[in-house]
Amino acid sequence: MRLLVIEDDLTLRESLVRKLSDAGFAVEQAADGKEGLYFAEEYPIDLAIIDLGLPEVSGLEIIRKVRAEGKTYPILILTARDRWEDKVDGLSAGADDYVVKPFHFEEISARVNALLRRSGGWASSQLDAGPVSLDMSRQELKVSGEAIELTSFEYKIIEYLMVRAGKVISKSELTDRLYDQDFERDSNVIEVFIGRLRKKMDPDNTIKPIETLRGRGYRFALERNQSG
Amino acid sequence: MYSLSSRLLISVSFLLLLFFGITIAVLNTAFTEAGEQARRDILDGHLVALLAAAEPDDNDELALPDRLREPRFGQIGSGLYGELRNESGEVIWRSQSALGLEIPEGVTPELGNHLFAREQLIDETPLLTLSLAVEWEFDDESSKSYVFKVAESLDSFNAQIAGFRGQLFGWFAAVAATMLLAFSFLLRGLMKPLRKIETEIGEIESGDRASLSNKFPTELTGVARNMNLLIDSERARSDRYRFTLDNLAHSLKTPLAAMRALLGDQQNANFGERFNEQIDRMDEIVRYQLRKPAASVADNLVLQSVNVDKEITRLIDGLKKVYHDKHPEFDVSVEPGMQFRGDTGDFLELAGNLLDNACKWCKKKVRISVVPSAGAKAIASGMVLCVADDGPGIPQDAADALLQRGMRLDESTPGHGIGLAVVKDIARSYGGQLSIKDSKLGGAEITVSIPPVTSAR
Repeated sequence: MRLLVIEDDLTLRESLVRKLSDAGFAVEQAADGKEGLYFAEEYPIDLAIIDLGLPEVSGLEIIRKVRAEGKTYPILILTARDRWEDKVDGLSAGADDYVVKPFHFEEISARVNALLRRSGGWASSQLDAGPVSLDMSRQELKVSGEAIELTSFEYKIIEYLMVRAGKVISKSELTDRLYDQDFERDSNVIEVFIGRLRKKMDPDNTIKPIETLRGRGYRFALERNQSG
Repeated sequence: MYSLSSRLLISVSFLLLLFFGITIAVLNTAFTEAGEQARRDILDGHLVALLAAAEPDDNDELALPDRLREPRFGQIGSGLYGELRNESGEVIWRSQSALGLEIPEGVTPELGNHLFAREQLIDETPLLTLSLAVEWEFDDESSKSYVFKVAESLDSFNAQIAGFRGQLFGWFAAVAATMLLAFSFLLRGLMKPLRKIETEIGEIESGDRASLSNKFPTELTGVARNMNLLIDSERARSDRYRFTLDNLAHSLKTPLAAMRALLGDQQNANFGERFNEQIDRMDEIVRYQLRKPAASVADNLVLQSVNVDKEITRLIDGLKKVYHDKHPEFDVSVEPGMQFRGDTGDFLELAGNLLDNACKWCKKKVRISVVPSAGAKAIASGMVLCVADDGPGIPQDAADALLQRGMRLDESTPGHGIGLAVVKDIARSYGGQLSIKDSKLGGAEITVSIPPVTSAR
């Protein structure tokens, strides 16, 4: 998943970006409103974390512009302004949730996960589809109740596919969203990971969780057990 | 520059000019006409006297004696002249006073008629003349026509009129000047209270005075009173800010001290946890102080009207996003057209905190109703805001404690206590109250009642 963090405070931004990267996200960062707006409009992004008090272009303005362009990815507001007036302004401008400064990182990561899941149409952080169940808060994958050991790249791929269950995801989208820019863009890598995932999740080739659509990409094929 | 005094003075001057102008014109005309009428009467008398003195002579012609009863006919250049002409217009008699003068013949009136005219001597001396054409019957029953004419110089009359006019203008000018002078003194007196207000405000600014005195004329007491209200509310507000700031600064000192102490004790096993505790404490203090009410009843003069329906809708739309997963069911009932007199931020703070708490604690249902205060006629006056949920509710002793101090009830749901404490503060600053009871939905029901704004004062 590719996140965008727009925050002008260096310490705060660096720590956020580091922790989000550690949590397995690809993270873009911007230090002011102008740069932030550019990223928000031009980059393939799954979620944006936007500080409201930014230099150059205010956070509210970025949110309004992004929404006016029809972009629907979730937006999480970071704000030092705690009055309801400010929160309501941000939410009506098009943001989806807010976190008031100062915050604990766990708060941010919980909100981010909830928003991402929500944008995929899931109601809880436990994604259940057939025998497969993914716990996003624990980053744990189970098939028929048995925990499956995954590398972090494998986890990222299955999470990305499962959150968007039923949708076709191209290889280039997967490389774009899952890895940082400087990653070697070799689509064979994705194929290798998908193959490994299939083997781990479905050694007998009976449930077929991941479908390959030739020339188009991949799809998580199992029906959701519940949706939000 | 726009000045009340100069405006008044200019308009009064115009009025005076207009009135005096008309008066002078009327008086002048009346005086001139009366004077001229008098002259005509006198001239008529002289003519009659001439007629009476005329006698036919031996040649069957009319003749007048050398000496007439009116001595001015006999004095050369006296200004009163007589003349008699025959049918063919020849002068057959002329008074001695007209010696060396040529009285213009003028228009001959019809037989038996008088004719007044204004004529001039050769030297342009203006004359008022009266001519009378008569048919004179002699003893032998023959008759001839004659024209009697008397003329009087208007020099003295004109001089008289001019004198009168001069006096008229003089007096009126003097009266007008006196009136304007008196008026400007009057104005100066009238404007004095205004200047006094200005001086007193200046004194308030420089700190020499606390409020405007009450020694103002009736028309200005309202202004002075409202000014005092404004000054008081501004002062109360700045006091409030100073107090808040003071509180804030002091209350941050303790956690700061604790943090410094912790830094000297980094081997402490719970260092991170303790440090975080202090940060949370500071955060809570700052949050609480920042969310204090912006307005209060004392700020009557600066209150706005808040569209309750619109703001509640905005709030609920926002909360639906934030509580997307929980998906509470909102039951909203707002009196149509309901207005809240106060600060928009304060209103959002009231409704936002209550709704947020309700969403946090509810199982599924959140109910909000906003109605005008009972008995209040105008919708804008007073408000009863009631938020209920179907959550666990708040036990009575905890509710009392919450209302007392705004302490935190449950550490696992941060901000509950702060939210209610803020609501309580805002309600109180608007002269209202907060009450907590059990809701029919099963959870807590929190009611904020704000009394009507008493604007009549």
